[in-house]
Amino acid sequence: MGKKNNEVMNLKRGKMSNESFINLSMLAVLILLFALASIFINNYFGVPTALNLVANNWYYIILGIGVTFLLVSGHFDLSVGGTLAMAGMLSAYFVQDSAEGFSPLASGLGMGYGWAIILALICCMLIGVINALFIAKLKVASIIVTLGTMSVARGIAEVVGLGAQRSANLPEIYGKVGNLSLVGPIKIAAVIAVVLVLAALFVEKKTVFGRRTYLIGANQEAARLSGIKVERHIALLYILSSLLAGITGILLASETKAAISTRGAGYEFNALVVTLLGGTSIDGGFGSVAGTVVGALILGVVSSASFSLLLRPEWQFIMKAIVTFLAILAQRYALDRRSR
Amino acid sequence: MNDNVLEIKNLLKDFPGVRAVNDVSFDIKRNTIHCLVGENGAGKSTLIKILTGAFTRTSGKIFLNGEEYSAHNPKHAGEQGISTLFQELNVVDQLTVEENLTLGIEDTKFGFLRKTNKIKKIIEVLKDIEPSIDPKERVSRLSVAKKQIIEIAKAVASDADVIIMDEPTAALSEGEIERLFKIIKKLREQNVTVIYISHRLDEIFELGDYVTVMRDGMHIGTKPLTEVKDRMDLIKMMIGKTVIECYEPRDDMSGEVVLKAKNITNHKLKDISFDVKKGEIVGFYGLVGAGKTELARAIYGADKYSGNIMFNGKKLGHNPGKTIDAGIALVPEERRTQGLFTLLTIKRNIPVMNMKKISRAGLINAASEKNVSKEYIETLSIKTDSMEKETAKLSGGNQQKVVFSKCLFADADLLILDEPTRGIDVGAKAEIYHIIRELAKEGKSIIFFSSELPEILNSCDRIFLLFEGEMRSELQNGDDIDNQSIIHICTGGN
Repeated sequence: MGKKNNEVMNLKRGKMSNESFINLSMLAVLILLFALASIFINNYFGVPTALNLVANNWYYIILGIGVTFLLVSGHFDLSVGGTLAMAGMLSAYFVQDSAEGFSPLASGLGMGYGWAIILALICCMLIGVINALFIAKLKVASIIVTLGTMSVARGIAEVVGLGAQRSANLPEIYGKVGNLSLVGPIKIAAVIAVVLVLAALFVEKKTVFGRRTYLIGANQEAARLSGIKVERHIALLYILSSLLAGITGILLASETKAAISTRGAGYEFNALVVTLLGGTSIDGGFGSVAGTVVGALILGVVSSASFSLLLRPEWQFIMKAIVTFLAILAQRYALDRRSR
Repeated sequence: MNDNVLEIKNLLKDFPGVRAVNDVSFDIKRNTIHCLVGENGAGKSTLIKILTGAFTRTSGKIFLNGEEYSAHNPKHAGEQGISTLFQELNVVDQLTVEENLTLGIEDTKFGFLRKTNKIKKIIEVLKDIEPSIDPKERVSRLSVAKKQIIEIAKAVASDADVIIMDEPTAALSEGEIERLFKIIKKLREQNVTVIYISHRLDEIFELGDYVTVMRDGMHIGTKPLTEVKDRMDLIKMMIGKTVIECYEPRDDMSGEVVLKAKNITNHKLKDISFDVKKGEIVGFYGLVGAGKTELARAIYGADKYSGNIMFNGKKLGHNPGKTIDAGIALVPEERRTQGLFTLLTIKRNIPVMNMKKISRAGLINAASEKNVSKEYIETLSIKTDSMEKETAKLSGGNQQKVVFSKCLFADADLLILDEPTRGIDVGAKAEIYHIIRELAKEGKSIIFFSSELPEILNSCDRIFLLFEGEMRSELQNGDDIDNQSIIHICTGGN
């Protein structure tokens, strides 16, 4: 023991893990961007702006949790945007009165709000089940399958919403949950996001489930030969991701007290961009939900700053392009780690 | 011009820790069929890879037609007159025969392909060798044998002086082999020298003019085959006087039977039955392609099979997770792609086969995770400065020790080892053998698959010989074991 023991036990002090390094790097980028915005924009610096960042980007954070876990395991999920719209639309349809005389867009199944939500979330998880079936069982590439289910979910939202929106004849409570305010601009949705992030970090770092996710992403064949039930695990991840998308959709629909069939279009790509921006490797095996949160906040700073600075919404895509290239740089780093 | 097409002088190739080719010198006569034989790891493939430009030599000289020769890559070697028929065929399935033949040497005008005399000439060559192949046929529809013929035609048409064939009959049926041999003999008349590598010694006698034997990286001898008496004569040269110095018979060979395999059959394996006793090291020896990996994976439940495997009285299924729970662990053939999570740290790798032991209700106990890694780093003396080191950064031997740690941590009573010392240096090999013997002493049973006979002979109590998916023989290890007859059986003899 003695000396050898010390050598083994002590990590080399001063040399942090790759994961901490990329998380802190992206945090530095976030702070830098925030500082730059504060210099050029009056009244940007301050607690309200910081709170707004969380308040306005919580949905990318919740979606990002599922997307990050899947990407760590080596899989994509592009179906979350469509699933989100489907969740809002189905919950509205389930809860609307079935009374006759209303227009088709104002009448539904007349369930209680609680049942409507539960049933809508179950429908969302079925999207996850379809993903799992094709990807884990039939071994189809995840990017293809989830592109398909993206259209399936969006299509259901469009059909149930008759290509428009369901906002009439909704009970009072439908618009409550998403608008419960806690501190300033912080609504219950943002709090749910924070709680989910903490739970995700716990799962990621402390549980066997989290550990297996990394193992599968690092080497699926070795994971199988090490006795890990790879198919079942991937299935669980897809169902979880769809459930999170469903929760997001219900909260978003509640916020506006309207289920819009085009809601969340493109969110699947934003969720992927913030995940990649946070340094999760596109090849799997490396990454963290912590990085994804930082990525979502970077996207938030860039879009809010560009809006205040340029006052012209048409520039937001260019700004998003800049963020995407930041994500590419983060990927370069993550992939270098992976190949070493 | 002298009558040697190739002269190899003092060729040397070092890999870290291993001298793969050790001061090899011999000549190859023009327009002959020159066979190259030796056990796995004898240095044949390294020598061939130097000739084809895949490896660079450490020192030594090669003369082709009297001029000094070196190649950067197989294409460069081909341009100078040395073409190779690799085991993995180099044809593009989606293209036609004609397109394959002219691939890379097309004539173009303004970016359009032109039909020139060159193409006609190549097709003539093909017709001459094998008239039954239609140049317009899509290659994906052809048999492996015909694909090989296309490659041979391409080599002949490119005016190759030397064609190297590495185990060309491995995937062929008997009729196809006969046809190939006729073609090879015809090549000799067309001013082509063939370097022929095969594990099947009968083929050497049927085909060869000369034979060169290699062992442990060294050149043992080059003879005309007329001077080789019989198979046994050749085998003696291949294995030399390997003395089994390390094997010590166990005092008590009468342990209870723990594993009983009956009639294991699948796409590769033919009706294999055997048993393993407690504390016993059972070896499976066979050449590449004998079915060792397939058998290892079948026992482990990673591949499908029919038949019945009982372990400690319980039937094993087709699920590695359940096999591990039953008390069996596998050290797979490919350490990097099947055994390790190379981008994760040592600490993350070691416990993966038995997460229950470091967790409670799904929550990982960080302290016990650390202790486990510390314990195995010490007991198997894994050389690293930290348990937080990514396993990709470890040497091959230390990586293999991490894989062993994984299996030991799974509390396995039976370990399946598939080529556990492949690609690791001599010192680490010795350590692995030591670990294996210690485990057996502790009462664990070992099934040891290897294509290196010396390690099988110095580690195993009982030895099974595999040839082409069949179990050919069962031997008790000891003083009277006969290496020659082992090689005889494993190269297809009776």
